Amino acid sequence: MKFSKLFLIALSASLFVSCSSDDGDSNEPQGIYDNGVFILNEGSSGQGTVSFLSEDFSVFTKDIYTAVNGDDLLGKYAQNIFFYEDNAYIIAGGSDVINVVNRYTFKLVDKIETGLKNPRYGVVKDGKAYVTNANSYADWGAPATDPGNMDDYVAIIDLKTNKYESKIDLNATGNRLVLENGKLYITEPVTSTRLLVVDIAAKKLEAPIEIGSNADCIEEENGFLYILRGPYTNRSEIVKVKLSDKSVSKITFPETLDGAGFMDIEDNKVYYTVGSSVYAINANATTASTTPIVTSPAGYVYGFAVNNNRIYIADGVFTKDGSAYIYDLSGALLKELTTGVGTNGFYFND
Amino acid sequence: MIFKKRFTFCLLLLCQIISAQHDSITKLKEVLVSDTNLKKYSDSQSVLKLNDSIISKNEALLTDLLNFNSSLYFKEYGRGMLSTVSFRGTTSSQTAVIWNGININSQMNGSTDFNTISGTDYNSVSVKAGGGSVIYGSGAVGGTVHLNNDLDFYNRFENNLKLDYGSFNTIGINYKTNISNKKWSAQIGISNNSSTNDYKYVDKYTWKGEQRWNRNGEYNIFTMSANLGYKLNAKNILKLYTQTSNTDRNTSLVTETETPSKYINGFNRNLLEYVGSFGKLTANLKTAYIFENYQYYADNSINDYTYGKTESLITKADFGYTLFKSTQINGIVDYNKTTGTGSGFGTNTREISSASLLVKQNISTSWINEFGVRKEFTDNYKSPVLFSLGSSYQFGQLYNLKLNLSRNFRIPTFNDLYWEPGGNRDLKPESSYQAEIGNVFTFSNITLTQTFYYIKIKDLLQWVPGNNGIWTPQNTDNVNSYGAETLLSWKKQFGKNIFSVNVTYAHTISENINTKKQLFFVPFDKATAAIAYSRNRISANYQFLYNGFVYTRADNDPDEIINDYMISNIGIDYDFNFFDSFKLGFQVLNLFNEAYESLENRSMPGRNFNMYLILKF
Repeated sequence: MKFSKLFLIALSASLFVSCSSDDGDSNEPQGIYDNGVFILNEGSSGQGTVSFLSEDFSVFTKDIYTAVNGDDLLGKYAQNIFFYEDNAYIIAGGSDVINVVNRYTFKLVDKIETGLKNPRYGVVKDGKAYVTNANSYADWGAPATDPGNMDDYVAIIDLKTNKYESKIDLNATGNRLVLENGKLYITEPVTSTRLLVVDIAAKKLEAPIEIGSNADCIEEENGFLYILRGPYTNRSEIVKVKLSDKSVSKITFPETLDGAGFMDIEDNKVYYTVGSSVYAINANATTASTTPIVTSPAGYVYGFAVNNNRIYIADGVFTKDGSAYIYDLSGALLKELTTGVGTNGFYFND
Repeated sequence: MIFKKRFTFCLLLLCQIISAQHDSITKLKEVLVSDTNLKKYSDSQSVLKLNDSIISKNEALLTDLLNFNSSLYFKEYGRGMLSTVSFRGTTSSQTAVIWNGININSQMNGSTDFNTISGTDYNSVSVKAGGGSVIYGSGAVGGTVHLNNDLDFYNRFENNLKLDYGSFNTIGINYKTNISNKKWSAQIGISNNSSTNDYKYVDKYTWKGEQRWNRNGEYNIFTMSANLGYKLNAKNILKLYTQTSNTDRNTSLVTETETPSKYINGFNRNLLEYVGSFGKLTANLKTAYIFENYQYYADNSINDYTYGKTESLITKADFGYTLFKSTQINGIVDYNKTTGTGSGFGTNTREISSASLLVKQNISTSWINEFGVRKEFTDNYKSPVLFSLGSSYQFGQLYNLKLNLSRNFRIPTFNDLYWEPGGNRDLKPESSYQAEIGNVFTFSNITLTQTFYYIKIKDLLQWVPGNNGIWTPQNTDNVNSYGAETLLSWKKQFGKNIFSVNVTYAHTISENINTKKQLFFVPFDKATAAIAYSRNRISANYQFLYNGFVYTRADNDPDEIINDYMISNIGIDYDFNFFDSFKLGFQVLNLFNEAYESLENRSMPGRNFNMYLILKF
């Protein structure tokens, strides 16, 4: 998978909070994999794997899916995890499958095996999952009108039955997404220059918003969408879209920050990566920071997240196990882990 | 494991290559070999020749033939699927496949898929261990595999038909006819091998408890060959070799939910050759046109594919001269122009010229020296001066010592150079130095060959993530590969009972110099054994393969390996003696129903059956 992959922002904090508040106020663990982070490893020639690290760092298991489910194959190119009630949903893009596991025990509950074609990222609303599917791929450099660039869709999956229900055609490419006020906002970094908007009640595309090429990470904060784009031959930018009127503003990075990679927002601060370095600015800032909080030893940053005052960086390695580095917000290293092949994301189970 | 220990012991005596059984009939007649340099310049190395009687005892595709009869190691993406080789611990593009003297490794990816070649299309398949870039060019680093069609010039009209029917609806039709007299020789062959290939995975079940089986594994391989020789007179011979093939395969699924895809590839090869012998001077002129193409359908159900194709024009002039009685030299110049077009790499052309000089010196009947040097000229990459030096000395009847030293290389492919995105036009060829010592012991009916080798490979090409997440090839790694090969052959007749035994064993260390780790997907140990017995019209054989475990990760994680496996096949056939020969045979493959795979989650079949009919008339 040559696709640059980022941390899933789709799983915005609000979603989590609503889930965990159902569990009541007690923070009693409901299984051995409660209160910790799932680290997704997409795999290479082999299957994807999931590692687990407990919140207090006392427990780390490299491959929990196999540890719990034995021989069962998770699938190729594990791309994303999303949660709903007691389940975690692991998307294996190369195998057209979503594995449904209990988020506390990681026991396989079900598999969503139909309606998916190169699935990428998912979000949940009212018991339904909305999963982007790349469907067929066009050749590199093909125009946006190439059939392979026109057939991406959002699969709608009923999470009560774990069955594919219907789809919404995007007539464009779609990859990462967030869900705000009944609307999906979808970016795609290879071909698209627009932010797609989908009304999920009407199952209809709304007018897209022009944001520029190479837009990938997307997150909502305080009524704004924050989108990071890192073109190869031009300046990186954070594009801000005001949800109320769809107006667009930009924070253009200096040339030294060309090729920005990942972005996450936590406690009103926007964290982003360029190369192996992490930077932060206030959510209302108008210029980029050029002073890194930390520069990790990761040779190829392939996953990134900021959660609960910790910065998580994945070093994607494809011929052997990769690494994850965990820092506090001042950049002090808290933990270094040997994860799996192609580590690409962090998903917090709390 | 006792087995391993026993072989480690053998290893001390190490080995190399044996010329396996010859068809005694053809020995007496004049045979024109297609690749004269293979015969002439391989005295200091080992060549294992598998003739048609061995070929016909194996499954049709070349992977099976070489897997059970040589020390080559194969990775198969399931039965009949993509199959790549590793020879002496090198990569899949460091074994060159040579068709009648012409290097046919893919210009696009540098390697050959051994499941797209049917062994029955050739008179012999030879495996030459060790470097051969001076003669065969790019990719002859670990060794070379030679597919040869020999033309005979004597009066005959022979037809050979082999029909196979086996488990998973596996059907083979292989027909060959030889028509020749003293002036003309023609050989025409057709083969078609197909299978629905829907075998069950031994002891594998889905999460729902259903038996897992090989989905989307259908294949069909069709090849047609026509080879023609004409003797203008005693001094001048013209030869034409043509071959066309199409492989239509689905790609077997790892998990049930994957989108079924398919891969179609084919080739067309034409070689026109002139051989002239004028006393001390010989001339060999070759012109070849080679076409290869593929189409990959990511989704079977949609008529949308990516593709690639290349056309190569090769011309070669080889002049030989006998300087003194004992010394022969060959001067060779060649020119190769390849144009490639593909959805992944646009259209590009590359031209390579080369000049080489080969010298062979027969100092006495027991002492032979070989020397070769080659230099390529091209704009695409910087080419090193290649050389080889070899010597063979026969001590009495018992012992033959062989020494060989060579420098070899593998050039970047069209994918490496031009792939969009990521292709890197600034690559060096992979290059290697190789040294080997071969010991050949012959006592009565036994031949034992042991070879120790050491290969130092630098600038290994690897695709790694570059800036902006785009993967790009780089000359990253340096590798030391060393080990030992043993070949043992024994043949004995007791009255009407004929026994033969052929054993190969390879011990391979292939170590990344920077990390000191064994390369992944290189087994430390591989062994094969074939035992054959015949009496009158009955013959029976037993084949055995042991493949040691391989690491699947660069860090040699002991938890991430492909387990070792031992596979046994047995076969028996009876000749009813209608026509020239009418053999009916039956085989049990994977006799002990071993659950095995050569790649992660790519299960191979359990016990399965095959019957065949060989008809000669």
